Amino acid sequence: MIIHRQVGALMIGFTLIISLLLILLPLPATLGALRPAFYTATVLFWVLMQPQRFGLVAAWCAGVMIDVLYGTPLSEHGLAMAVAAYVVIKLRPLLWTFPVIQQAAVMLPIFAIYEFVLFWIDGVAGADVDLWWRWLPVLSSSLVWPAWAFLLERIAEFEVG
Amino acid sequence: MRGLDDDKPALLGRRVAPGITLVIIIVVSITLMMVDNAHKSLSAVRGSLAVALEPLQVAAEIPGDTIDYLQQYFNRGALISENQQLSQKVLLLQGRLQKLAALQAENERIRALLASASSLDQNVLIARILSVSPDPYRQYVKLNKGSADGVFVGQALIDAHGIMGQVTNVTPLDSRALLISDANNGIPVEINRTGLQTIVQGTGRRDTLQLPFLANNADVKVGDLLVSSGLGGRYPANYPVARVTHVAHNPGEEFLDVQAQPTADLGRGREALLVWNASTQSSGPGAPHAPPLSHSSDADSTPSDPAP
Repeated sequence: MIIHRQVGALMIGFTLIISLLLILLPLPATLGALRPAFYTATVLFWVLMQPQRFGLVAAWCAGVMIDVLYGTPLSEHGLAMAVAAYVVIKLRPLLWTFPVIQQAAVMLPIFAIYEFVLFWIDGVAGADVDLWWRWLPVLSSSLVWPAWAFLLERIAEFEVG
Repeated sequence: MRGLDDDKPALLGRRVAPGITLVIIIVVSITLMMVDNAHKSLSAVRGSLAVALEPLQVAAEIPGDTIDYLQQYFNRGALISENQQLSQKVLLLQGRLQKLAALQAENERIRALLASASSLDQNVLIARILSVSPDPYRQYVKLNKGSADGVFVGQALIDAHGIMGQVTNVTPLDSRALLISDANNGIPVEINRTGLQTIVQGTGRRDTLQLPFLANNADVKVGDLLVSSGLGGRYPANYPVARVTHVAHNPGEEFLDVQAQPTADLGRGREALLVWNASTQSSGPGAPHAPPLSHSSDADSTPSDPAP
């Protein structure tokens, strides 16, 4: 679905805050490793749906918020978010033609790119975290994508009709 | 109907090709990360952003706290039995403390005879663990005490059973402590039984630490207690750190494969103690204006020296 009318900044901010809360909720370590990247999914959803309102710079700023909350080097998540958003913008015509279930298949490599940028920066920075379960959120995020995108679409429709 | 190209992202009101924006973002990001890594000039920016995001952190804690509260509210029997256990424990600890006062006095006399400069006096600040790292690849905890309470970078964090980690970031309202189980953390220890000095490294898993530098003929057994040696000046000496759980000699390897389990409850406790020597505070890089604890009227902070 293409949302033609502009969605309010308040609405975008609200969904971002809710998804930030979802990734900040304390969980046991095993569940935490499986937790889908709700926040990344929300940012990429708005980049996909409203690139004229929520572009690369906004995605970068949204990523920096995670850096502040996680204490990672400033703009590490920002850079990863911007790179993933760029791929989303480039693949927009393709993503728009798919129903949300098939979108999930395209989102899988995009989430993998996001995670790979983080992995790479961690490696360069010397924070050597070569753990296989690092890649679990890629899988869980794309599994959650159809439901999450559907929910966000309904929320956006609630405002623009 | 809008065309696809009309949806190009806008930067400062102008349509810019996303490729150019991305290149600019990459350059800015890499510069920021290098500056952030090299020195602390960005910590003010980070601190103010962190204060702005504080309500989110607090909100994320609410569900867990509510569940805890409701469990306590509806479980009066458990509270009563816990209270009984705690008063028994207090009695037991006070009994031991009586002996400790005499031992401490004796120790100080002997140290005075040796003209040893080291002091047993340590300052303590109780901090509440706000959240265990939401990032599963890093091992840290967030504490509810910040530079306003006298927390500074380098303070050691302990719980009832041993060393948990050290403070690495401080904002005015809270601070962040790296746990000893983080893959980037090393802590100088000695084996309590033999006095052998070595280093314990984190593995990224909360229940496992490793001792990578023990020679094949080193005297180490499963069950050995590792206590901090105080070398390096970051961690206070003689606190328990870990217990050896696994010792294996792999033929062809230069070093023993030794693993240990932290004695502290990393990631489970809700409260911890920040410990520092009175002398290290003045040299601490953080909060130079931190009030000395003895003058602080904070209700939940107590000076550690036990009254004789």
